[in-house]
Order: sequence, then C-alpha cells, then structure tokens
Amino acid sequence: MQFGRGKPSAGAFYDSDFSTIDSVLAQAVLHGLQGRNDCRVAIVTMSRPNLAVAGFADMIERYYRGPAAVFAQVPPMGMRTVGQPGETSAAFTAPFEAHKLDGTPVYVNNVKRVRDTADPDTMFRNYLEAQYDGNGFFILAGPATNLAAALDFRGMKELIVAKTTYLVAACNIKADVKAAQKVFAEWPVPVYLVSDELAGAVVFPGASIDKEFTAANPDSPFIAAYKAYKKMPYDTPAPAMAATLYAARPKEGYFKVSDAGTVAIRDDGQMSFSASTSGKHRLLMPDAEKKDKVVQTLVELASAKPVIQQRFRPPVAEDKKADAPVEKKP
Amino acid sequence: MITGKTLPRRTFLRGVGTAAIGLPFLDAMAPALRASTAPGKPPIRMAFFYVPNGEIMDAWNPSYEGKFQELPRTLKALEPYKDDMIQISNLTHNTGRALLDGAGDHGRCSGSYLTGIQVKKSLVEIKNGISFDQIVANRIGKETRFPSIELGMDDARQAGDCDSGYSCAYTNNLAWRGETQPLPPILDPRALFERLFGNGQPMTPEERARQSKYRRSILDFVTDDTHKLESNLGPTDRRKLDEYLSSIREVERQIERAEKDNKQIDPHMDKPYGVPSDFAEHFRMMSNMIAIAFQADQTRIVTFLVTHEGTSRAYREIGIPDGHHPLTHHRNQPDLMEKTRKINEYHVQQFAGFIEKMKTTKEGDRSLLDNSMIVYGAGLSDPNAHLHEDLPTIIVGKGGNYFKTGRRVLARRETPMCNLFLTMMDRMGCPVEHFGDSTGRLNGLDADSLDLA
Repeated sequence: MQFGRGKPSAGAFYDSDFSTIDSVLAQAVLHGLQGRNDCRVAIVTMSRPNLAVAGFADMIERYYRGPAAVFAQVPPMGMRTVGQPGETSAAFTAPFEAHKLDGTPVYVNNVKRVRDTADPDTMFRNYLEAQYDGNGFFILAGPATNLAAALDFRGMKELIVAKTTYLVAACNIKADVKAAQKVFAEWPVPVYLVSDELAGAVVFPGASIDKEFTAANPDSPFIAAYKAYKKMPYDTPAPAMAATLYAARPKEGYFKVSDAGTVAIRDDGQMSFSASTSGKHRLLMPDAEKKDKVVQTLVELASAKPVIQQRFRPPVAEDKKADAPVEKKP
Repeated sequence: MITGKTLPRRTFLRGVGTAAIGLPFLDAMAPALRASTAPGKPPIRMAFFYVPNGEIMDAWNPSYEGKFQELPRTLKALEPYKDDMIQISNLTHNTGRALLDGAGDHGRCSGSYLTGIQVKKSLVEIKNGISFDQIVANRIGKETRFPSIELGMDDARQAGDCDSGYSCAYTNNLAWRGETQPLPPILDPRALFERLFGNGQPMTPEERARQSKYRRSILDFVTDDTHKLESNLGPTDRRKLDEYLSSIREVERQIERAEKDNKQIDPHMDKPYGVPSDFAEHFRMMSNMIAIAFQADQTRIVTFLVTHEGTSRAYREIGIPDGHHPLTHHRNQPDLMEKTRKINEYHVQQFAGFIEKMKTTKEGDRSLLDNSMIVYGAGLSDPNAHLHEDLPTIIVGKGGNYFKTGRRVLARRETPMCNLFLTMMDRMGCPVEHFGDSTGRLNGLDADSLDLA
C-alpha cells in the first residue's frame, strides 16, 4: 500500500442545489481534479431538501470513491431540510434505471430518507476540522443558502479562516438573495465570483457525452443523466464547472481575475462590483484566448474514469505530535 | 403505607465507627420527598456502561427501525426488557476521529466519550475537558451522599502509553472533573462496598481484620438503628427494608466468597483480594452495588468502564482464549468476527442481569429502572475500521416516564453524541445550551419520531 508524504492536496467543499446539469457535471469535474491530485473532495452538500437529488449526488460520490473500505469511508451527503424541494429532473432518476445482465441495478440509491443524509453545518464543521490549516476551499454552485446558514454556526467563521483560503462562487443570487447578501458581506476569506460574462462564455459541449464519456465508461451515470436532463443534442453553459476548475487550479490562468473589490447585492438581486484595494472579492472573467482550452479541460476532467483514492495517512502535525520519548539517563 | 411520622429521604442506618447505610425509597418518605423535590417525582438516575473495542454491527443493529420486533443477536439477552429500552443509531463522536492526530482511535474514543473534546495526544501532558456527568454531578451532587461514582473492572493505570502516544489516562477513565483531572474508577468490589456502606473512608487493615475475625456483616453494626427504624415502619416498608438489607448482605457474601477464592487461587496475586477472577462475577458484584446505590439514592450518577479500550482480555469462560482487541481487527475473517460477536453478546448478557435487578426493584409505584437512564454503549462502531459514527448506543429505562421506549430510532448521520448528552442533562435537571461538539438537543426521544431538522 502506498502512503503519501507531506500535506495532502487541498480539501474541496462543494455546495450546490444541483438545479442545473452544469452543477451536476461540476461534481464530475471535481472528481476529475481529484484523480489528478489537484484537490481532494472533502464533502458534497446540497442546499434544498430533495432526497432524489441527494441520492443522485450520493451515488456519484460512491461511483468515484469506490466501495467503502477500511480507512476509505464515503462521507454522507449534507442536505438542508428546510425550504422547497424544487424540481426533480429526470436526470437524477435515469441512472438508477440501468440494470446489469443479471437484473441487478448498476447504481443503487442509498438515500431513502432524511436520516440517510447529514446536517450541512455539522458536515462543514466536522470535515473542516479534519483539514490542515489553509488547506481547503469552498465551491458554491447555486444559491448561497447553506453557506449563509453556516456563518451563524458556532465557531464556523473561525474554522473557515483557519482551514480554507477562498470561496469560488457560481452563485445563483436570485434564488436566495438574503443568503447571497450575507455571504458576500460576511464570508471571512476571499471570494471569487464567476461573472455573468464568464458564465455565458464557457459552454460545455453535449457531443462529448457520446464521445469522451462513453469511451471512458459506457455505464457512466452522467451519460444517462445528461441525456435525460433535456432533449439531445444540447450544449450547456458551465459556470459551476468553471468555478470548480478555478478553485482547484487557480494558478493555471484559465480565466482573467479582476482587481480586488466589493460585491454588493441589492434586495432585488441585482449585483454590482466596485473596485477597492481593501475589498475581498474578485470577479472571474473569460479569457478569449483560453476558451477552447478551458472547454477541452473540462471535458477531459468530467469524463475521466474514477481513480480510487489511495489510503493517505498524513504525518502528524508538529504541534500535535505525541511527546517524544524521554531519554533515559544513565 | 405512611405511619404518621415522615422519614427524611437521607436517613442512614449508622453503626459504631464504620457503617452508614443509606435507605431505599420507603412509603414513609413520600411526604418528605414531595417536599424536597418536584411534586411526586422521584429522582432520575443516570449511568453509563462503556464497553470497549466497538461492536460487530451486523449483530448490533436490527434490520428495521421503529417498534422492536426480534432483537438482533448481540442484544438478545435484553429481549425481556425491550419495552424498556430505546436504541439510537447514527450518533457520532467527531472528536474521536483522527482530525490530523494520526493513529490512536482507541485512546481518543474513550477519552472523548463523555467529554466531546478532542483529547491532546500526549503521554505526560494530558488534556481533556470536563465530562458531562461531572457537570451534572456539580449541579445536583450535593443532594446525594456521593455526587457520582466511577467504576471499572480491569485497569486503572493513569500513566504510560495505552494507544499510539495516548496516555492511559484517556483509556482508563470515563469521567473527568476538569481538563487534567480524570476520576479513576474503583475496580475492587470491597473498596466499593466500603465506600457505599462504610463511613466514607476505606477501612483500615486493622478494622477489616477485626471485622473478618468475628465474621461480622456490616449489617451487624447497624442492628440497633435497624430495629429502631423498623418499629416505626408499616408492614410494606418493613418488607422493603428487609429485601434491601438482604441484597446488601448478598453482595457482602459475594465479596467474601471472592476474597476467599482468590486467597486459595494465589495468595500472592497482586490485585486486591476482593476482585474476582471471573468476569461475570465481578460484573455482577459491581452492578448489584450500582443498583443498591441508586435504590438508596446514594448517588444519581454512575460511570462504569466495563473494560478499557484496547484491552486484550481473553474470555476463556465462553471458549475464547484470544485477546479481545486483536480479535476486533478481524479483517472480515468470519471466524474472528464470530468470536468478537460472542464477546459482544457476553457483555450484554451481564448487563441484562443488572437491568433485571433495576426493573424488579420497586420505587413508589414504578420500578427503579423507570426512573433511570442507563446507557450502554461504545466509543467505536466497526472496530476493524475504527469508525466513530453510528456508535452503538442503547438507553434502558424511561428516564422518569420520558423516553418513548420499545423501539429503534435513527438520527441523521453525523448527529453528535453530545446532542444526546444535552437531552440527558435536561432530564437530570441541569440544562445547558452547549456541550462538547453538540449542535442542539436530540429531540423526539419522547415522541413518535426524532426531530431530524
């Protein structure tokens, strides 16, 4: 068995309402990045109470992480229990309809009831505590409901400061304006916001489903999900995928990054950005020269075969080491 | 029956020098009780029975939730009491996990079990937090002779490396008075007996020798007081008192037998003579005294570290010569798993004996068990994987007609164990807003379903 050395790659906290196929595919991109050791998927949380969608996201985690084994447990899905369940697209049920030759389902839904999920705040807290200092980041792909609630959780702001370096947001502001206002006002580490320009500029090619995805794994749950989401063929804007790519590879230069400033959100959901050196927000903008490369990278990452993580037992942090044995005096 | 005179709840039968025996709840105390506590409500007791090295979960968890049907294999011995118990699944101790501290799940899980604190990985600089039982003891302990009683059965070392750099203080204590103050358990039944029924101080060797020489029971020292009391009691109370004193005498005889047997086995053995070599016998003695202590309201809080994390105790009496801890690293080998299941069952069988005593002991118009919350649990679930979620947890007793028992409930995954502690503190009359890594109370234990919001 292979053991890692030094710090592991940064832990990713992915929060979404999974209301777009883009936010679904972003989970695939995230695992593609993990497979290349650009990050580790710490947890996935959902900001609406929808068991079918949670079951799908949970199945995706199992698909990538492999069967639970000693020292390789699959964290439960964090799911908010208040609010509206929203629409349940056929994308979330289609993969469960596939069966093997012996009649058993290819993918099993393990989330049948609320108790099969976990409270998002508790998940954030528990899994942040397991990260090295400054070795994590949040990705928001949807309304800021969960993150806003987390800010009121006992000790959470301090944990976010200690354990994470930034939040990258493809935020659906209008879905929860108050939550977005709170997150942009109070999130205690820098926030990178996918701009409307970038959201419109990066388009995921639907044709890749029958090419790259099928070539990697004809049984990939994303094939059935993508095809069930909307009548094929279609492409889809990819702000969540772009946010995920930037979060794990901030230094690759895929996007232009604005100067520091402050995002302000009005009560009607309109967003404005004003530059200021003391601001802790930045906008991610498209870079026309990198556009093709970004799309190609997203397709490669999203369609990558699952890479089962090796067991990683990190060295004990210096300040947490057990006492050194006392030297025996002669 | 009430005889006119009201007997104070904290009445003792006192003897010359050595004895001070508390009394069970008698009818003659009823008016006094009503005056000193909530109207008509006997006190609630709370105990923790901690078993080490997790459980084989396929034999612990039923395949269903809701009302108990047939109990799973490990819990089978509790079948007669299933209407008095509630099984809670999915409780988690995040502070037992590594959280960057590396190996040492056994040291962490027992160290943090009642504190909800990530203990400091150290052999010399121990650091934990106050355990929740001691918060309760600090608040209500003055109402009983002993604020709390801490018991164990096999190892009370307080120093040394008991797990990958974790001090034995973490594995060998459940109760913590403060960050650096564990409360070591009493292992010796004789020491416990003398603490409960003596004058609060252990007997000196001379006193013990004198008592032994004349083969006198501790009850002999309180004969005068007993006769005086009996003359003021009605027939029901006299019968209760007689049964109670007989149970004390029975424990005393058990201890004497064990001491005699141990002398015959090996006069040079280094454990106290009162500690029986037989696990079941030792368990029975200790748990009988817990029941008596509860019955006499000597204390309302007990922690019992049945055996400690990482123990390699063998259970030859049930045909298992292998060490417990090595067996639990079974690597999914069926034979090792089966042996571990048998040990798990054996532990529960002993526990069931205690529950029977609690249930058959009457207190007012209920049983002592009805007025208690007896938690039986472990700090790990699957020991092979060292998992700190879905911790094996049952509560036996209704906690004063509170718990809706006779069922299995499932909390949401990752629900902190400390949430249960908050609820238990409420029941003990010591509400606090936050403890350990709690996120709120475990609501719904008194309702049809848990509050999963």
